[in-house]
Amino acid sequence: MKFEEPTSDNLFDRAMVIGKATPRIDGPLKVSGQAPYAYERHDVVEDQLVGYPLGATIGRGRITAMDTEAARNAPGVAAVVTTLDIDPLEISSFNNARLFGGNEVRHYHQAIAVVVAETLEQARHAAEMIDVTYEEEEGNFDLEKAWQNGLGTDEADAETGNVDEAFASAEVTLDETYRTPDQSHAMMEPHSSIADWSDGENMTVWTSSQMIAWARKSLAETFDIDEDRIRVESPFVGGGFGAKLFLRSDAVLAALGSRAAQRPVKLTLPRPFIFNNATHRSATIQRIRLAAGQDGRLTAIEHEAAAHEFEGGGNEENPTNLTKLFYAGANRRVKHHDVVLDLPESSSMRAPGEASGLMAFEIAMDEMAEKLGMDPVEFRILNDTQVDPMNPDVPFSDRNFVDCLKVGAERFGWSDRNRKPGDTRDGLWMVGHGMAGAYRGAPTLTSGARVRLERGHLTVETDMTDIGTGSYTILAQTGAEMLGLPLEQVTVKLGDSRFPASSGSGGQFGAASSTAGVYAACVALREEIARRLETDDVRFEDGNVIAGNKAIPLEEISADAEITAEDTMEFGDFQDDLEIGTFAAHFVEVGVHAATAEVRVRRMLAVCDAGRILNPVTARSQVIGGMTMALGAALSEQLAVDKPRGYFVNHDLAGYEVAVHADVPDQEVIFLDTLDPAISPLKAKGVGELGICGVAAAIANATYNATGIRVRDYPITLDKMLDRLPETF
Amino acid sequence: MQFHRPETVEDALHLMAGQPAKLLAGGTDFFPALGGRRTSDAVVDLTGIASLSGIARSGSSWRIGAMTRWAQIRDADLPRQFLGLQLAAREVGSIQIQNTGTIAGNLCNASPAADGVPPLLALDADVEIAGPDGTRVIPLFDFITGVRRTELKPGEIVTAVLVPDAPASRSAFLKLGARRYLVISIAMVAANVVLSSGGALDGIAIAVGACSAVAQRLRKLEENLTGTVPGSEDFQKAIAEYGLHELTPIDDVRASADYRLAAVRTLIARAVMQAVEGRG
Repeated sequence: MKFEEPTSDNLFDRAMVIGKATPRIDGPLKVSGQAPYAYERHDVVEDQLVGYPLGATIGRGRITAMDTEAARNAPGVAAVVTTLDIDPLEISSFNNARLFGGNEVRHYHQAIAVVVAETLEQARHAAEMIDVTYEEEEGNFDLEKAWQNGLGTDEADAETGNVDEAFASAEVTLDETYRTPDQSHAMMEPHSSIADWSDGENMTVWTSSQMIAWARKSLAETFDIDEDRIRVESPFVGGGFGAKLFLRSDAVLAALGSRAAQRPVKLTLPRPFIFNNATHRSATIQRIRLAAGQDGRLTAIEHEAAAHEFEGGGNEENPTNLTKLFYAGANRRVKHHDVVLDLPESSSMRAPGEASGLMAFEIAMDEMAEKLGMDPVEFRILNDTQVDPMNPDVPFSDRNFVDCLKVGAERFGWSDRNRKPGDTRDGLWMVGHGMAGAYRGAPTLTSGARVRLERGHLTVETDMTDIGTGSYTILAQTGAEMLGLPLEQVTVKLGDSRFPASSGSGGQFGAASSTAGVYAACVALREEIARRLETDDVRFEDGNVIAGNKAIPLEEISADAEITAEDTMEFGDFQDDLEIGTFAAHFVEVGVHAATAEVRVRRMLAVCDAGRILNPVTARSQVIGGMTMALGAALSEQLAVDKPRGYFVNHDLAGYEVAVHADVPDQEVIFLDTLDPAISPLKAKGVGELGICGVAAAIANATYNATGIRVRDYPITLDKMLDRLPETF
Repeated sequence: MQFHRPETVEDALHLMAGQPAKLLAGGTDFFPALGGRRTSDAVVDLTGIASLSGIARSGSSWRIGAMTRWAQIRDADLPRQFLGLQLAAREVGSIQIQNTGTIAGNLCNASPAADGVPPLLALDADVEIAGPDGTRVIPLFDFITGVRRTELKPGEIVTAVLVPDAPASRSAFLKLGARRYLVISIAMVAANVVLSSGGALDGIAIAVGACSAVAQRLRKLEENLTGTVPGSEDFQKAIAEYGLHELTPIDDVRASADYRLAAVRTLIARAVMQAVEGRG
């Protein structure tokens, strides 16, 4: 099926199941420990061995020798495969850093060996016995230096109007530079796989992946084998945030170990290994210039940024992308430098580009509002746009950002906010209020599904994944709605390469795309049922198909043999002529300790505009998860780079401080009652990435409002405010 | 590798005589310190020795068994002189760590950021050590000699932490980190105070952790504060003007040395006030 024009009125506008607050249907499996996560799938294949990885301990260079004799002779060891034992593996089209093979070391903790043994302890013990000799080389690990050298060079990526003239004649201008650090996904479940490649022919991988089809293609390219010989399963994923979009070394090492030991091998990347072995969000440095008239209307915007990437690419963290679209303004120039560094591979992490971009841009908007003497909410309302400001012929399909701002201001009590920075005290705590806007695109990807109706029970099969987001539940809701069935009469099976290929989970495209895929398959099923009833006019209600004035139970229709249908939703070109996005306004109250500068967030409010909310329970969970992740980004998360040696120093969860429960205050989420007919038949856009966007800046702005101290270098740790704290407290 | 699990201190001492041995208590520092490698030393697991666990009052002092878990200390019904120690127990790692980590393990590991050390220093705690030549007792302050270094000699075992009874003493503990919990300290302060009937400080002990190789008592500051009324101008002035010469903080990923010094000054005032007000 092709989605070729905006949706008109349809059954989702009179929904019985979609849009209703529904607890996740896989919840009981999870809380009872029965949901099969990759590393715990002891039942899928017998005789599993355990693999343990070894990582390089230099940032760049080559390996001259590896002594594995002791490891091979250690108790329980079935196989040792070193990077010197095999030719360099192909780099798949989804990867940039090579995952294994050859003597070249291109980043710290690059996988250089896998030990396979009967137990985890034996494998780990033997891995420690491998003696590696390196020839270390100099590398480039310094983004700051690259920024200084690159600032002002290269052509703009996009430019409209006359920016220089607009700045020269502007009444009010701002020119500031902001920094965001490297960040780690820190999902709860580490990268884990069980691989059975015992015969060196057919490969089955039970893994933790956001994208089944990509994983399969990557495995085929990496090992140069036919895709048809590979099966991938990933029915449950303990968080991904982009870390599991692409093939990682866990699956590769498990497969190599399995081939060598001729038995299935399970392997998980130890937590301290993940930070440098796998991917991360790149640090950014961003210079933002704004120009406006005294009336508060933006006349010019310039955004120049740098982030780092592995040689060959991979960095998706382009903070200037949103700047092309978010606010009005006739003159605009954006430029992004992707700097090649020898650090581990930068890649997608929740809202790549927007997350870091808004961390900076929404501080700049706050600073500009202050210069103009305007309420930052009013300033944003004044500079709203309903069209792509660089291509005014392209309208937003449905943009209600102004409503987000107005509803948020009212619900938060913005009019009672602290107005003068540093003016409100609660004992030793300085209290401040801040807000920020948020924007994140709403892409769609081709997505397919198969549906089976048997004795009135519907089974949905698609290779879509549920990475904790609620896919199982919203796809069941979609199937139930389409067939007029209660939710209990729908089973959803996900994450298996034997099922039709879906969008997968990422880029907040999963919910919109995969529900549309299930919609398409259900339309095909309804048509098949109509064909069997020899009529065009059917409705599906209360477990019945209604043809004319006759109601036939679906149980009866599918009593003798199951009825199946399969289809794929493709999204038409008309979407290219529109800007389809999601919007939010965030409001935050913080307390900053007058003496120690501890920042403690007191309350948070998000107002979101993302079209139809398919399930308020799982959508809210997505948004508060994003808000929490952004709280960590604002106040504590930072991968510290050892610039001489070239690696992330704090590579565990003790050193890389994500927010903990005690950091998280009252969180409230309001979804505007909006519909976007241009996105899909369900008129629903994703919220998984919108939730992280803008929040960190709202916290930063509230911190400024509390103290009068502007920190432009994330995270806003205590020591950055020290020298500017009030003298008395 | 030899692994022993004796049931008496005598058996443990006997096992350790004449061979390199490592003591295993809660294991929360022991296993990470191995770095994934097996040790060639004998391992003597102390978890089988029942007499090493528990808190009891005997005469004019309190005896906290070496193997007493942080969770036991956290949950015990103790007088308010121990409130600071109990607040520290709540913030040693996570609840899982508190369930297995022991008080003596925290001391013997001798991390500059050990959460247990400042409150025990403020309590004037002593360390009881059993060895081949009998039992000796030394002040905690003399026991920890540097980063990962203690006075414990090969063949010796810490058997208890002894705290003098001080029924009039109130205490507090503050730990500062970028996030609110599950955090390695930027700085921490423990305070024990005794007030006169007029509300002035009759006795005061202040200990600071994570700002020097070994946590420090600020004895000169204690002297300067004695006789002042907490919260008064004299009190604030004494803290503001104090040189903090005992502290030698470092710059690291968690905070700068300058920040630590500035923050500690505030934490001291807060800790004393909290102890006075008896807040938990």
